[in-house]
Amino acid sequence: MKQTGIATKIIFLSCGIALLLMVLGCILVMQYEIVVLNKMTDKKVEEKEKLYLYSLYQEKKALTEELITQINDLIKMIKSVDVVYSQTFEFQIQSLLMHPMVVAAEFCKQNEQSFLAAWKSKTIHVANAFPKELKLKQYLMIIKHTKIPSIEIIRLYYTFEKIEHELKAQKERDINDIHETRTSIYNQLNGLFLAQSIGSFLVVAFLGATLIFSLRWLILKPIQYLMQIAKQLKKLDLSVDITTTTASHELNALAQALGQLLEGFRKIISDVKENATMLSGSADNMTDIAEQLKNHSEEAESKSNNVAEASVQISANIHSIANSVEQISDNMEAVSSTSDYLFNNINSVANAIEELSSSLSHVGERAQNGTKIAEEAVLLAKKAGKTVNTLRHAADEIGGVSEFIQRIAHKTNILSLNATIEAASAGSAGRGFSVVASAIQEFAEQSSRAAKDITDRIASVQKGTFEIENVFKEVSAIIREMNESSESISFAVIEQTKAVQEIASNALEADERARNINVSIEDLSRTVNDAADNTAQVAMGANDVSTRIQGVSESISFNRQISHQINEAAIVLNHLSGNLKFMVDPFKVSHQSKINNNNKE
Amino acid sequence: MRKFNSITSEKKKLPESKRQFCSFQMAGHYFGVDILDVKEIIDEVVLTKIHHAPPEMLGFVNIRGHVHLVLDLRLLLNFSTKSIDEASRVLLFHPNVGESFGVMVDQIGHMIEVEESLIEYRVSEENISGIARDFRKSDLEKGVCKLKDRLLIILDASKFLNAVELKR
Repeated sequence: MKQTGIATKIIFLSCGIALLLMVLGCILVMQYEIVVLNKMTDKKVEEKEKLYLYSLYQEKKALTEELITQINDLIKMIKSVDVVYSQTFEFQIQSLLMHPMVVAAEFCKQNEQSFLAAWKSKTIHVANAFPKELKLKQYLMIIKHTKIPSIEIIRLYYTFEKIEHELKAQKERDINDIHETRTSIYNQLNGLFLAQSIGSFLVVAFLGATLIFSLRWLILKPIQYLMQIAKQLKKLDLSVDITTTTASHELNALAQALGQLLEGFRKIISDVKENATMLSGSADNMTDIAEQLKNHSEEAESKSNNVAEASVQISANIHSIANSVEQISDNMEAVSSTSDYLFNNINSVANAIEELSSSLSHVGERAQNGTKIAEEAVLLAKKAGKTVNTLRHAADEIGGVSEFIQRIAHKTNILSLNATIEAASAGSAGRGFSVVASAIQEFAEQSSRAAKDITDRIASVQKGTFEIENVFKEVSAIIREMNESSESISFAVIEQTKAVQEIASNALEADERARNINVSIEDLSRTVNDAADNTAQVAMGANDVSTRIQGVSESISFNRQISHQINEAAIVLNHLSGNLKFMVDPFKVSHQSKINNNNKE
Repeated sequence: MRKFNSITSEKKKLPESKRQFCSFQMAGHYFGVDILDVKEIIDEVVLTKIHHAPPEMLGFVNIRGHVHLVLDLRLLLNFSTKSIDEASRVLLFHPNVGESFGVMVDQIGHMIEVEESLIEYRVSEENISGIARDFRKSDLEKGVCKLKDRLLIILDASKFLNAVELKR
């Protein structure tokens, strides 16, 4: 899009300039037209002015002639008449004044003295002379000398103002018309200018569009294609196809040349690449081999070192073994005497353990007896608890009975009181009965007291039984615990008996074994003495082996150094080949065959 | 007055001059009434309340088919009232004391026989003014009996009913 962007910019710029120029041309033309128009109008106005002056002159001439003919006619008429009356003169002068342009008229005699005058001010006035306020000098004047004695001179004053006025108005109207026409032409010109500018804009737009289209089609497309190729080349991708076949276009020719260049380049690069890959592979192989060699030699060295060390150690060990064996043979004798002593001790232990076993079985029997007794005690405690319970119930019942007795005592008391009352009401006859009643009362009180006493006692009995019950509960719990513990004791004793029996059997076995040990230790002691002699010989042989192995180890170490040098050289080579490959790698050369085909075509 | 006269007549009748009282306790005090006024002592009391009656009337009680009115002696003697308990008893009086009625007492005591000489009666003074006499009418105690260790206040049973009316 970047390329199109540039093209569009160019096109837009050129189109804009064209549009500007066209508009400028339009404005110039317009200005010229306006100037021409102004000149034309000025000319016309001048013509009108000239026409006006000419017509004014014509009109003046015509009017003067007309007035002169009128006066001549008047003179003729007066001449033709024999008798002239003053009224006739008046009439004549009035008829003169009928003309619109005539302002005043005067008839004079020979001595140039006016005898009749007429003038216009709103209406026509007739008098012998003009009033002095009338200023006649501003008007035009015609003096006519008649050859009539009565009227020597006729003076006619007239004005030309009205006609002049009319003509002026006419002229101004014409000039105005011309000006209006000019303004209308101006407006039309403005419209024309607008139309011209719109038209020119449209033409320019069409031109621009056509340019853009053609530019894109003809130039930008091939340029874009070339750009794509260039982009790929920028990525060092040489596998590009250049498909243009005809060399008609300049750009196409350029593309073809580029394609040929690419092909050559591609060939070279692919060759280099293949060689670099091969070189890298062989360098790798070499490195591996060197590495392996190095590893092997290192391993061999370490192994030989190990062997040397081990052989040294072995010889040292064998020496120490020889020493130890001698020591062992010494110790063996001491062991032999100790094992004798041990055998005696174990015998006595076995006897003691048997005795322990028999006494333990006795203890077991006793413990079982204890368990039985505890069970009986539990049963008895339960029975006692039941008895106490029944005792408590009985106490409760006794409490109820004593309450009943108390109630009876109360009743008896009331009865005795009532009896006393009855006896008293009987007076002296009831005296004896009264004594009985009081005795009953006393008895009732006593029985009440006794009942109360019983109740108190029973309460204490109840309290005691409650305590006993609690104690019995505790006692039975304790007995139960005892029972349990005696059971566990008897169980433990049984277990112990078993264990002791095992120990006893083991002790017997130990006794036998001890005897065996005694015998075998004596054998061992003899063998050890032989071994001590043999080991001394072995130690000497081992020393010899050790010195030889050290020689082997030194030669292997020399080997290792050489292999290490080879390895370093291989690594350098590998590094170099890697660098070469890295440099060549970015170039892509995969579509070679296709391009070749194109070239053939 | 009539009762007083009867007592004096009895006094004359008995040459031994011995008298019997039914004693009872009330709020820690000892009281006694003449045994001849007492008809019976009852221990199991089923009271039927009388509504709209003054608080001194506790209610009716049915004794062997006869209905008796029961008064609260505590209220008559200006003590605070107390609920009935096991020791509470009802003293029923003879019909000649008043219409059949009884009183509730806290606890019954013994029948006491004393010499007449040990009893000191209140002297009824005739010259007391009218208001004082009215006040005396409501007086329930008749006299005091001197016993060995204590004094026994002797009440007049015939004035109990009047006292109820006067209280109102």
